[in-house]
Amino acid sequence: MSKEAQLSIAERDFILEALRQDVRLDGRKPDEYRPLNITFGEEYGHVNLQLGKTHIIVRISAEVTKPRDDRPFDGLFNINMELTNMGSPAWDNGRSNDLEAAVTHTLDRVIRHSNALDTESLCILKGVSCWSIRADVHVLDYDGNLTDAACIATMAGLQHFRRPDAVVRDGKVIVYGVEQRVPVALNITHKPLSVTFHTYNDSKHVIVDATLKEEQAAEGDLVIGINNAGDLCYASKIAGAPVDAMVIVTKTSIAWEKVKVLNAAIDKVLQADLAKRAKVGMADESRAENDREVQPE
Amino acid sequence: MVGPTASLSVLSRADGSASYKCPATGYNILGAVNGPVELPGRRDALKPEDATVEIFIKPGTTTGGVGERATETILKSVLGNLVLGREKGFPRRGVVLTLNIVGGENVERGDSYLTLLPALLHAGLLAMISASIPLSMTLSAALLGVTTSGDIVQNPGPAAAKSVVSLHVLAFSSKGHLLLNESRGRFDFDTWELVRARALSICQGAHDGDVAMGEGENAASVNAFIRETAEDQIYSDYAHKLDSI
Repeated sequence: MSKEAQLSIAERDFILEALRQDVRLDGRKPDEYRPLNITFGEEYGHVNLQLGKTHIIVRISAEVTKPRDDRPFDGLFNINMELTNMGSPAWDNGRSNDLEAAVTHTLDRVIRHSNALDTESLCILKGVSCWSIRADVHVLDYDGNLTDAACIATMAGLQHFRRPDAVVRDGKVIVYGVEQRVPVALNITHKPLSVTFHTYNDSKHVIVDATLKEEQAAEGDLVIGINNAGDLCYASKIAGAPVDAMVIVTKTSIAWEKVKVLNAAIDKVLQADLAKRAKVGMADESRAENDREVQPE
Repeated sequence: MVGPTASLSVLSRADGSASYKCPATGYNILGAVNGPVELPGRRDALKPEDATVEIFIKPGTTTGGVGERATETILKSVLGNLVLGREKGFPRRGVVLTLNIVGGENVERGDSYLTLLPALLHAGLLAMISASIPLSMTLSAALLGVTTSGDIVQNPGPAAAKSVVSLHVLAFSSKGHLLLNESRGRFDFDTWELVRARALSICQGAHDGDVAMGEGENAASVNAFIRETAEDQIYSDYAHKLDSI
């Protein structure tokens, strides 16, 4: 197994001492995210996200499959992440590692198990066919905080994605192409996001959105998954140094603030992109209304 | 016809990387190279005097399967032989090339990867150049389809590739030597010879003047495109030196 290059003792001491003086390496405040940049690709559900130097592409895809026997009314939804040598030289192609398992678990918990995507709306014909939605997370550059970046990108992708329209006629499922009918947006019930904290100096200093170096110097982490309404859907303190109960309480409210800001950022780029598409996209062609000439007064 | 676009060194963590976009087929490939690296756990498989080239293809919206593994073998037979693995520092080390299909339609399960092959080859080659891996030569590839009426079409997209009689991918070295020949469908030798001549003119540019150009303004060859992309990168990398002259 290859390993990420370890932090030198001097670097570690520097980060810890700086935090004692409330300073971070890149000059951010303890609860400040790195600059977030989200762009959408040509196809629906293609998200290109940069959080500082962490760079992620998420692609959402849909196909018609048979639902599971025990859940005939439910569609399928899967989040897939495979770390490759591209994101970091420390990751081997075709082999999973601890980070991959941890991030996939968190994504699964925060987005899938909190029912952010209503899987019942994906059912086409009971027990016969349903939509299978798949989110593929590609990590292109890794510089810490993969969990939050992947979570933001996946949620943005789900909100941006449009699946082809499908109807049941005489017991047969007809799937219309995107040229035939306006594709349908997914039914998102709520918008949870994860916020990852790292603790230092006996949990005296807690920061969000740690870079890779800060992650390596941390003594423990705390992941909180929360939505816009303040419903906590995931909290984990899997490993590392213990954290005071009060810290968790105060950090949960910080997480809530952060999620509201992040969701607003997603909304903003999403609206801008949809407005751009509305001008050139299929929505215009499939409009029944004729263009009216405006008479100059 | 709109030519492909590419840029080098787009990623920060990998030793070398390249992004390659082909508007005709709609594919967008991101390639990353790390090398020379230690390949632990595979010591017995390492050649004592040569570098080991590993290639990994990551499809955009599915998990990799047999199709990807088969394509990796094809790519390895071409790109693996370009790498000068006996250069100092390379023997017993690995050169790991990761190709991520970040845009474009998926290859259906069981379908051939031929439509993607030129894009993968170009992205892989450019990523190797970006990582400064010693190479014996550069290559350029072309994708051609033969329609039912016997016409040769360049770069058929995934939809168009379904309707052609035969599909061919040919790769040539910068000196015009044939490096790769992968075909699918029914065709005879005469057709293949026509396809080869056409592919050579696409890759090298019509240098003899006897090959008829189908697309007219398609004069810029793929070979020249690869060269220009690398040149542009070097130009911007050494901008500080140019300024001081």
